[in-house]
Amino acid sequence: MGTEANGMELRERLELIESMIAEGRRSTTRWAWTIVLWGVAFYVAIAWSTGMFGGPMWGRHYMAWPVTMAGTWLLNWLLLKRMHRSAKSPMTTVKRSIVSIWTAMGISMFALLLPMGLSGRGDQQVYVAVVATLLGTANAASGMLLKWKAQFACAVVWWLAAAASLFSTVTQSIIAFLAATFLCQIVFGIYAMILESRERRQGAANA
Amino acid sequence: MPELPDLNPVVHGKLRLALLTLLTGVDEAEFTWLREKTGATDGNLGAQLLKLEEAGYVTVEKRFVQRKPQTLYRMTEAGRAALTEYVQALKQLLGEAVMGGQ
Repeated sequence: MGTEANGMELRERLELIESMIAEGRRSTTRWAWTIVLWGVAFYVAIAWSTGMFGGPMWGRHYMAWPVTMAGTWLLNWLLLKRMHRSAKSPMTTVKRSIVSIWTAMGISMFALLLPMGLSGRGDQQVYVAVVATLLGTANAASGMLLKWKAQFACAVVWWLAAAASLFSTVTQSIIAFLAATFLCQIVFGIYAMILESRERRQGAANA
Repeated sequence: MPELPDLNPVVHGKLRLALLTLLTGVDEAEFTWLREKTGATDGNLGAQLLKLEEAGYVTVEKRFVQRKPQTLYRMTEAGRAALTEYVQALKQLLGEAVMGGQ
């Protein structure tokens, strides 16, 4: 009897450890909206770089990507900082890894696209290939880290768009980029937002 | 018959065990976050965190963020080692309890 009670108490402790590990991993920060935000930013950059916007300022097509990306990064950073402050969610190892991957990708993109735009080296197809490859890399790394097949599938879509861009005309290359953006940023972003809100509802119900 | 390990009494307390486990997965955690995750009262949580601090398993940092006080807790290497040892001892004891029940 004593052994049985003792065993139950020990098992209780083990269950407590497991539940606290799961609880600690549960993030209260909403981040899926950033995927959609970047999707919208890509559409703006494409529209600007292809001359869809009128006016003297929008005429500087070479500035489209660097300015849009830098502006979106700043907006993203400000909003996340504000949300993080209100959510009081601590930084976990996984969260830090994901943030590192996307920050490194963002810096690489900025460091490459700005000189490319200013020097005039590289055409529209090369631009699309570079952006899509970097997005594929970051999505693949995040997908593998989170063991999330849907995100890894997005990486494959980006890599395919990058390869296709180098064999296509300017118009085809832009269509490939817009299609990949729609699938991997808009659709995937909304899907991630739905999952996130479902998880939060479950978390609230379990609390 | 192999000697059974003793469970560390500081780690064995339910709330203290929960706190140490929560702190293993994060860089640092606010008092309010720990309270939310454990569902403990302020008084009990403060007392248990103080015991962990006295044992050298956590460190505390008090600061002000936008004029609001913030108390941050971090797990120390000693705390991590104590929790690892505790889990190993627990597994060993559980194995014995299962064998003993048969």
